[in-house]
Amino acid sequence: MPADDVSVSSAERTAPEERLLNLVVALMATDQGLTKDTILGSVSGYREQMEAGASKDALEKMFERDKENLRGLGVPIETIGDRLEPDDLRQARYRVPTAEYALPDEITFTPAEVAVLNLAGSVWGEESLSAPARSGLRKIRSLGIAVDEPIIGYAPRISLHGTAFAPLQRAIEQARVATFPYLKPGEENPRTRTIRPLALVEYEARWHVYGIDVDAAAERTFLLSRIVGDVKITRTSFDQALRAGAGERALAGLEDLARRQSALLEVHPGTEASLRLQRRGTAEVQGIRVPFVDVHIFADELASYGPEVRVVDPPQLRDQVIRRLRAALAANGGAR
Amino acid sequence: MSPASRPVLATERAALMLQLVPYLINKGDVAVEEAAADFDVSPQQMRGMVEKLTVIGRPGDSGYWQMANDLFDIDWDLLEQQDRISLTNAVGLEHAPRLTAREAAALLAGLQLAQSLPGVRDSGVIAGLLAKLARGASSAPADVIVAPEPVDDVRMTVDDALRKRVAVSFTYKAPDAPVTTRTVDPVKVHIADGQWYLQGWCHLRQAMRTFHLDRVSDLALTDIAITHGEEPVPALFDIDEGDIVARIRFREAVAGLLRGYLGRAQQIVGDGPVRDATLRVADPQSLKRLATGRGGDVEIIEPLQARDAAAEWARSALEQYPGQSTD
Repeated sequence: MPADDVSVSSAERTAPEERLLNLVVALMATDQGLTKDTILGSVSGYREQMEAGASKDALEKMFERDKENLRGLGVPIETIGDRLEPDDLRQARYRVPTAEYALPDEITFTPAEVAVLNLAGSVWGEESLSAPARSGLRKIRSLGIAVDEPIIGYAPRISLHGTAFAPLQRAIEQARVATFPYLKPGEENPRTRTIRPLALVEYEARWHVYGIDVDAAAERTFLLSRIVGDVKITRTSFDQALRAGAGERALAGLEDLARRQSALLEVHPGTEASLRLQRRGTAEVQGIRVPFVDVHIFADELASYGPEVRVVDPPQLRDQVIRRLRAALAANGGAR
Repeated sequence: MSPASRPVLATERAALMLQLVPYLINKGDVAVEEAAADFDVSPQQMRGMVEKLTVIGRPGDSGYWQMANDLFDIDWDLLEQQDRISLTNAVGLEHAPRLTAREAAALLAGLQLAQSLPGVRDSGVIAGLLAKLARGASSAPADVIVAPEPVDDVRMTVDDALRKRVAVSFTYKAPDAPVTTRTVDPVKVHIADGQWYLQGWCHLRQAMRTFHLDRVSDLALTDIAITHGEEPVPALFDIDEGDIVARIRFREAVAGLLRGYLGRAQQIVGDGPVRDATLRVADPQSLKRLATGRGGDVEIIEPLQARDAAAEWARSALEQYPGQSTD
């Protein structure tokens, strides 16, 4: 963290994590809170720098950064304003209330629950959410709970496929508007979308972000695989209350779409197409009916089955499959 | 995540050390090696964190000088002589911190996937866990939803076999291969991208094999106790690697959609919008589905046999749509 450097000799400088931890210990040990001056003059990490003649301004900036970093780690730092002059932050006192810092005592886990949590924490494999999952598990395990026999025989995995997930998750946590270039199939160029992101949903092994499209002023669901560039988090925030129940609404929307859209397909028995589609569909007089949420993604799958499947209905899906088959034929020298 | 590569940032180290105190209090006395493994750091980094802990403490009564009992302390002899950590003085941080929103979201999503396992679903612990994790978070986790997938009889029976440690028998139809009847000692079920795969010792092939459960039918439990449950299982997608070297050409824009194939590519050449990938396949027929599924975004360059198979696959599919000329 080069930003932590204040011009004092290295001998007197403590590692930033020491200063952060000293600050947490000090703020948890106080009930009435400590003023900024007390902190800078007594908490190890600031104190030495103050004594070495670092400017107060630099130390105050360092304290502000430290507070933000700790809040980012989930450490609740409370600001108690002066009773007589609540807006005057010079007299403000800071503390970390133990009740909000610590895992509540009444939350306990049974050995069977910890075994399931261990499995749940393992699903991220090499993905970026693996580290937070393991960190969360460590906190729970440090409550000192016995664990049942591990659940063996299963290796469930969730994949994030690409880089859009992490910034979208951060935008949801912070309730901030995000923008991204989105390429719809059949369109030549991506279009920038601006949304209030509310939930991330994996449905049929594909990640979707659900939110309010600011330009359309309506709820929309986007496929992460069609985000073709960086997700940017803007400075514009939105009401956290919009997030309540968003995951359920997003899932219900996708399920509703699958109920309303279905294809009538003829599949040749005993083929890959029949094995893969049968489980998802219901039998009809002329073939099987299979629900789908996205015509392009379903057309990709159906085209891969080649002659094993014939699309009867809807025409739009049939046309998309035919278009893919023709393109594949042309690309692989079918014109010879 | 290699232990040596993390943690990097001071705030990350601080986060780990906040967890370290309650961990050490709970353990009482723990080997450096074990603690390092539990924290995903190297033993050297763990030792460094523990040593650093001993200079951390309360500001001290005078507001100036810290007395020894104002600082964390460890049993130094135990660390130096036996490589074990034991906390002898704690001056705060005894409580496990709440989960961050990110940590809670990661576990909540994992629980939703774990819920699709027959044994977990039947244990009835999921609903309680979801509520506890949400309450134990320092701020509201982002909603990360993993939609439930239907669990059918095949999956239930495999689960049953895993518990009873008996072999299963089934008919298996891999694409472009004849139907076979298999008896398999189940070892592991992989769930990846919503697909279920059974890994186990195949009595027919006398080796570990991976089976996609959608391609399994007529599954039944046998009364044959499993005998090869301890053998090492191959990585999930270590399958159908063969002797035939194929080369495919694809648009860079669709690379993300080809990850299953490109992940096992031996070489990817080119830095423009069009790239070539070389991969080994067992059967030249196996690429035709990729070619038609990606509708012209993937061209099979060689072997010619595979390219022709793809063209034929597309042509015979198009013949099902009379009136749609194929030129």
